[in-house]
Amino acid sequence: MKKRIVSILAMGLILVPFLVGGVCAKTLTIGSMSPLTGPYASDGTDIKNGVLTAISVFEAAGGIAGYDKIELSAQDTACDPRQAVAAANKLINLEVAGVVGAYCSSSTIPASEVLAEEDIIMITPASTNEQVTDRGLPYMFRMCGRDDDQAPAAAKFMKESLGAKTIFIVDDKTTYSQGLADGVKKAAIEMGMEVVNHEHVNQGDKDFSAVLTMAKQANADIFYMSLQGYSPAAMMTLQAKRLGMESQIVTQDAVFQPKYMEVAKEAAEGAYLTYGFTDETTPEYKAFEKIYVPKYGKIAAYATYAYDSATALLKAIQAAGTTDPAKVKAELMKLDFQGVAKHVKFAANGDSGSSYIAYKVVDGKFVPYWEPIKGLIK
Amino acid sequence: MEYFIQQLINGITLGGMYALIALGYTMVYGVIQLINFAHGEFFAAGGYVGAIALAYFAGVGYMDSHPVICLTASFLIAMAYCAYLAVGVEKIAYKPLRKNSRLAALLSALGMSIFLSNGMMLTQGVYDKVYPGELFQGRFDFGMISISYLQIMIVSLTAILLVSLNLLVFKTKIGMAMRATAQDKTMSALVAIGSNRIISLTFAIGAGLAAAAGIMYGLYYGSVKYDMGFIPGIKAFSAAVLGGIGNITGAMIGGLIIGMVEIFGAGYISGEYKDVFAFIILIGVLYFKPNGIMGENIDDTRV
Repeated sequence: MKKRIVSILAMGLILVPFLVGGVCAKTLTIGSMSPLTGPYASDGTDIKNGVLTAISVFEAAGGIAGYDKIELSAQDTACDPRQAVAAANKLINLEVAGVVGAYCSSSTIPASEVLAEEDIIMITPASTNEQVTDRGLPYMFRMCGRDDDQAPAAAKFMKESLGAKTIFIVDDKTTYSQGLADGVKKAAIEMGMEVVNHEHVNQGDKDFSAVLTMAKQANADIFYMSLQGYSPAAMMTLQAKRLGMESQIVTQDAVFQPKYMEVAKEAAEGAYLTYGFTDETTPEYKAFEKIYVPKYGKIAAYATYAYDSATALLKAIQAAGTTDPAKVKAELMKLDFQGVAKHVKFAANGDSGSSYIAYKVVDGKFVPYWEPIKGLIK
Repeated sequence: MEYFIQQLINGITLGGMYALIALGYTMVYGVIQLINFAHGEFFAAGGYVGAIALAYFAGVGYMDSHPVICLTASFLIAMAYCAYLAVGVEKIAYKPLRKNSRLAALLSALGMSIFLSNGMMLTQGVYDKVYPGELFQGRFDFGMISISYLQIMIVSLTAILLVSLNLLVFKTKIGMAMRATAQDKTMSALVAIGSNRIISLTFAIGAGLAAAAGIMYGLYYGSVKYDMGFIPGIKAFSAAVLGGIGNITGAMIGGLIIGMVEIFGAGYISGEYKDVFAFIILIGVLYFKPNGIMGENIDDTRV
């Protein structure tokens, strides 16, 4: 009996922080959604770190009037639509002022439907599938580009800059990767290139030898890898080179992660990928680099976009002086500032424009190589 | 034809790794009738320890001067570590439940699997851990067919491990004690075979083989990740069932079959359904031979 009382008291202690927290401080809570576990945990962690950096910058600058502090509730989606919906519901219960996320388009789409029921603002830093903003949800915003901009840019790059005639496409069947692969296929055919094969692998696969042997035999000019995340892409690149595949590797934004070169090493050299152009010489980028790098390491894929998303959200809340979604949205639409990843200005549908260019891996770094209008970048 | 041979080589490499992992499932099942779901995590842990050891050797510069010694040492360190880990897991998570229903131990195994995989995530981080790249680069080319040095290394090392395990189990006294324990714990205890010791040993050997597979995996795919044990674990488990769970030769054959079917399914039909082919074969075989391919003489040879 005594033991039981002690344990009940001990359980009760768990509640203390909530009680205390509720009484003494007014906290602005924003949410983030990204995969913190599972195969895309690294990309999801980048997003969380980007948002945390934005919050710390805001707090250092004096915070937001009317709130003692800004807090982040980082939810794990595991890139699983069901878990994403659960995470969205959790954020609704926490009464967050807005959400940055999610990473996988297949998570963002169902989660945004849930958040839309409660009129919660959602800014995705990374989901490029068209459907994210094309469903007409009033509070859905997107910081990154769109696949229907990326796919034609990639096809144009392959035709004009690489002089490609034949393409072998592989995707891993996610909303994002398959959508993009289909887009590239369509654009490539329209531009007169031949798609010799369009193969699929599964999420979580590590052994691609079967599909790569197929690709080696097809010997197309381009091997287009549409994969969700740098990790499978690095493994595929490594295995392709080991098998002696000679097709030129072209891939896309999800692979924009320094870890890609770390894992694939020399095999990654000379690979191309399309990614939104980030001007790394802006003072905004330099300032971000100074805070982010010592704390979290190399700047990767979507940390900058997550930072810009959170900054836009906080700026809008600050300007609105309230968390009322309609007012915050009005302020979001007014925003026009140079962010870290790009210049932030939202269009009526919630998109903020695409700026896809081709990067090339040179000496273990992504180097801007080609852009759709002017061609090669010197 | 060249295409076929290339896919065959791919299949043998993958199948060999599955076979090494499958052995752990099958040996543990043979001895205590437990499906050790944490086994995939021993495989991942082996990959990590190997990465850490190799990175250390590369850091102090031994890697360039004595690559073979460093690699051998890394294998031994990883195998020893995982053997130790497995014995610990058995003592903590399975032994107290040995007298309870099998379901309790099974759930404990699932819990252990989640615990270990998240433990690796917390201690090693969510990013891939990279293997040093200079090892065994290069390949032989015969027309369209190419065999990398790594594939040769993996296949021959797998063969050595499989043969030595067979010798251990079927030709030594320890092996005899293991087989005796598998058949009847009480009876073997009466002839002075300590079943606890044999069970620990079984876990240790199984995990050691999984650790070896983990390093090969890391070398072959270039990196390891905390969640890498899950899918190969499931595949290897299927391989063990396919071969007849509890049967060592069965696990080896099952591993090779699953690896080959996956590669040929992906290479000739479609990559997106390769897991489906593996499981269709599994279902097909179990339908006609419920005990698995080598399952009939289960009482004589299981360990």
